[in-house]
Amino acid sequence: MNNLMSIQNGALQNVYEKYKKFIIAFLLIIFLFILGEITVSNFFSLAQILLTIKLAAFIALFGLCQMVVIAAGDGGLDLSVGYTATMTAVLTASIMDGMNENLWKAILVALGIGLVVGVINGVLSAYVKLPPLIVTLAMSNILQGAINVYTAGKNITGKPSPVLTLIAAKSTGIFPNILFILAIVTVVVMIILYKTKWGLMLFGVGSNETTAYLSGVNVKLVRCIAFIISGVLSSLIGLLLIGNMGIAFKDMGSNYVMPSIAAVVVGGVSMAGGDGNYLGVILGSIFLQTLTNLLVALGWGDAGKWTGFGTVLFILLIVYVSNRRSR
Amino acid sequence: MNKTVKAQSNINFKKLISKPEFSSLLILIIMFVITAILQTNFFEIKSIIRNINAFAPLILLSMGQAVVIISGGLDLSAGAALSLFTCVLTTIMKKNDPTTGIYALLITIVVALLVGVINGIGIGYLRIPPVIVTFATSYIWLGISLFLRPTPGGEAVDWFKAFYDVGAVKGMPEFIKAIGGVIPPALVLVLIGCAFWFVISKTRTGRHIYAVGGNSDSAYASGINTAKIQMIACIINSIFILLAALFFVGQNQSGDARMGDPMTLKAIAAAVVGGVALAGGRGSVYFGLVGALILSFVNKIIFFANIPNAYQTLVGGVIVIVAIAGSQAYTLYNKRAMLKESK
Repeated sequence: MNNLMSIQNGALQNVYEKYKKFIIAFLLIIFLFILGEITVSNFFSLAQILLTIKLAAFIALFGLCQMVVIAAGDGGLDLSVGYTATMTAVLTASIMDGMNENLWKAILVALGIGLVVGVINGVLSAYVKLPPLIVTLAMSNILQGAINVYTAGKNITGKPSPVLTLIAAKSTGIFPNILFILAIVTVVVMIILYKTKWGLMLFGVGSNETTAYLSGVNVKLVRCIAFIISGVLSSLIGLLLIGNMGIAFKDMGSNYVMPSIAAVVVGGVSMAGGDGNYLGVILGSIFLQTLTNLLVALGWGDAGKWTGFGTVLFILLIVYVSNRRSR
Repeated sequence: MNKTVKAQSNINFKKLISKPEFSSLLILIIMFVITAILQTNFFEIKSIIRNINAFAPLILLSMGQAVVIISGGLDLSAGAALSLFTCVLTTIMKKNDPTTGIYALLITIVVALLVGVINGIGIGYLRIPPVIVTFATSYIWLGISLFLRPTPGGEAVDWFKAFYDVGAVKGMPEFIKAIGGVIPPALVLVLIGCAFWFVISKTRTGRHIYAVGGNSDSAYASGINTAKIQMIACIINSIFILLAALFFVGQNQSGDARMGDPMTLKAIAAAVVGGVALAGGRGSVYFGLVGALILSFVNKIIFFANIPNAYQTLVGGVIVIVAIAGSQAYTLYNKRAMLKESK
């Protein structure tokens, strides 16, 4: 009897250990909503929650790019996601020009941009062995520069095609359509990461490079592909962004870079690589969006938002990532 | 006998060439010559002073960055910290009360130490990957700067102009003005930075910085407090950033929460171009200065090529990525060549 109890306790302990970060993220969200309800009136309502989740969906999608790159290990991070998205949005706005029949062209352009950015990032990080953060930071400068050149002296014209607007901005009943996209993406990602060879390879490379190499995995190629996936995905998210906002502008995507990384950390993905649960990332993005809402409602604006994000990221890094074991 | 000497000198020559410092110096000389040819009044004292003023901030930042990189870290918050310092300075100072300048200076020194300590705790004591922790702190600095100064502006006391141009300060003795006409304050700031590092590099701490960057575990095993050393490296970097901030406030008499952002990447790139290994432990802080000069000369050459303003960010990004990738590829190539030789 006693034995059974201890086994049960052990199992409970295991479940708790496995989902500890989930539970923490979830409790943080609840805490923020309660805090918001106390300080700002009408914070904890269904409409507000759905709006929060809708806005968080974009952070979560960008977070997917980060998660794939981080999971491949070696200090991978992709700072260029937001700029790739902006580039795509700015370029495809005039191509689509508000017509559905031009959508396929826009998607082709988006894929092209994502592929180019991803390949450059991947080759420089994986094969030339430059720190990914520096490569992608330089890449974001280049993209921002290219956007500046493209938009110099003229207005960005064009509208998203109605299909994109329908997907990204409209709602079915009370549920924003973007949530269905997010749900589909989540299912696909979970299947690929946990049920296919590719997911195993990605996590294997991230958790132990040498073992992966000795088992015949092409480590460099996997890392490179992680960056390519990140590039292509962020480029496609650019299409959704323009669908949501209706117009393209110069820094529509850059504000998502920091939240996407913070969301991954809040979601409990190991920064050392080799693991990652997309549901955690979604919870992390909801937390960050709630935090933004709260800070904006309190009237602290941009300053409060960035201080808050930075502080949250710093604290969670201390809690999750820091390595205080004695050597 | 003669043959062996010749062979020996040949090997020495090869070793010299394969050092990244040699190639950086060579590139610097080439860039210097090209710039001197393109800029007709390059050797006039006015344009020399103008060039020093344009180059000094990047030199200071890249030297600070070099210290952190050598200690095995990387500081992505350098630019944000620079903005923060300018914002703190210009928020505290009141234009018509010279004493506020002293308060501002003291408080900013405290802020600089705090910035270094917080980064150092993250990198050293908590052992979070440096890039990620400084990425996080860079947003904290940005947020605080935006609290202090939502839009660019602010005011500075008159004597702060001494950090940019001594001649512009009212009531400055004539002989100091005369010296300032020949030796610009920016150069003095750079020299202060160099002297500061010279002193530190001669102490035990200076050698420990290299040891920790080279191999943190064996440094720890031989009794070095690695966490403390990495924190000290961060504090040194923050002091270099403070020197650059003083120059900027002297020049613009205002603060801006976003002005430092583009400087971060340039500073890292300059350190790498100067031959500081990103893996840590190798390189010279003074060559951060060389790298900064190379990048600045390249910028100048591009300026002479009459590229439209809109292309500046694009070209800057491309230069950085080419410079870093080039240095890294060069190092890899050298390593392979050395291995072959030893076999």
